[in-house]
Amino acid sequence: MQRAAKCALRLDLSRAFCLSRSGTVVVMQKSLPPPRDEEEKAMLDSMLRVDHAGEYGANRIYAGQMAVLSRTRTGPLIQYMWDQEKMHLEKFNEILGEHRVRPTLLLPLWNIAGFALGMILTRIACLLAFEGTMSCTVAVEESISEHYNSQIQTLMEAEPERYTELLQVIKEFCDDEKKNRDTGLEHDAESVPGYLLLKTVIQVDCKAAIYILQRI
Amino acid sequence: SFALLHVAVQGTVSLQCSNVRRGFHRAALLRLASDSKSDTSVPPPSYHEVHTAGESSSSSAQGESSEDAQPNTSFQDQSGEHGEDYETEEQLQARILTAALEFVPQHGWTVEAIAAAAETLGLSSASTGMFNNGAGDLVLHFVAQCNAQLAETLAEQNNQVQLGQAEAKKTAEFLKDAVETRLRMLIPYIDTWPQAMSILLLPHNIPDSLKHLSTMVDDIWYYAGDRSTDVNWYTRRAALTGIYNTTELVMVQDSSPDFEETWAFLDNRIKDVVNMANTAKQVQATGEAVVQGLMGAAITLKNLTGMNQRR
Repeated sequence: MQRAAKCALRLDLSRAFCLSRSGTVVVMQKSLPPPRDEEEKAMLDSMLRVDHAGEYGANRIYAGQMAVLSRTRTGPLIQYMWDQEKMHLEKFNEILGEHRVRPTLLLPLWNIAGFALGMILTRIACLLAFEGTMSCTVAVEESISEHYNSQIQTLMEAEPERYTELLQVIKEFCDDEKKNRDTGLEHDAESVPGYLLLKTVIQVDCKAAIYILQRI
Repeated sequence: SFALLHVAVQGTVSLQCSNVRRGFHRAALLRLASDSKSDTSVPPPSYHEVHTAGESSSSSAQGESSEDAQPNTSFQDQSGEHGEDYETEEQLQARILTAALEFVPQHGWTVEAIAAAAETLGLSSASTGMFNNGAGDLVLHFVAQCNAQLAETLAEQNNQVQLGQAEAKKTAEFLKDAVETRLRMLIPYIDTWPQAMSILLLPHNIPDSLKHLSTMVDDIWYYAGDRSTDVNWYTRRAALTGIYNTTELVMVQDSSPDFEETWAFLDNRIKDVVNMANTAKQVQATGEAVVQGLMGAAITLKNLTGMNQRR
């Protein structure tokens, strides 16, 4: 009783306003309902933590890709997609701050790992196929869309009316990722030999990352 | 009869009812209590204080849905009582523990204090059997109560700043005031606090005491305006935890009037942390500048040797 009450009290008290760093008050649109018990808070926390870390990682992967592809014909396109990911990350930063969700401890690791993954895989793809291939992008976007889809499913199975705003946000991001994937496919990303291997590697990576992030 | 249970509870109270065994346990204890006491018409003297303390933590739970109340039915059936006039076991425990705080200066943080409190509330001293953790339950209850009070105070201050009735404090000052407010709640029990600290360090109490500590530190930083979503989240909380713990240790052996030395120590520690943060920023900026310089030098070298041209 104590814990559930405390949990609700903490979020009630922080409802509707928060103090930005300069001390001015910012009224925020709440994307989540206040959790009714510890279990729900834990579930939402881990979901948001994974999403936030995912967008952060995607950011770094795009940065890695740009390091390789910035002078090719697909450079501007990758830059555009990267800017979109930056917007997603901003949104998640907001949600995390608003709802007092702990970010993952592994962010510095994600920083390096994402950049390395983006850069190395893109280089490999470029060596195997034409320059400026977007196979890495497509594989990453595919994994992320799958992940968002499964989250949408979880929320819908639980209680769709309760999480309308959050569902909206996730659906929007999911659609963005799918669009990026389709754009990548249009640019013949799949023509890379060993594309399936690349895709599998990235999918396994993402699944392992999600597993770890839900816990740490 | 279970006249003791007829404590007026306003509104619905959401709770997590424990399992059937505890229900049996409680029913047995209360039967024992009702057998051994005479009349219960006079409410216990600390009832109001307890009730308000209990209410402050449960009032927010009143708005919660009634679906959480459903697990109660098994408990209700056993005690045979229905309707609003019942008190849950957790509420009763909270009432006893809050009353026990009065006896801490006399008995220390022990089961004796709980037993003495149970007797003032009209229960038998065997009610201490409800508390599996004994003195640990008492200390953890006190810590939780203090943290809740702190959170309320901080929220109230935040409210005032929002309404423009007060100035927003700078981070260092805010942290100092928050930690001081929290530590001042220990003053009535400062003589026996070392005993409480050692109880909190017992292995089976460590998870709970760490949880309370981390929640409190998170609250303080949240109201100080921290919305970081990177490694800073962790470094700030770790720093504040260190400050709080060391200041607490200084406080228990401080004999200056109104604990002046403790507050001076706190002030210095916070200044240290702020300095460190500034130094870290400077180091990072310098590092970045150095890297830029090196890259510039490398490009110049490539240009000079003609390696930078695309052929």
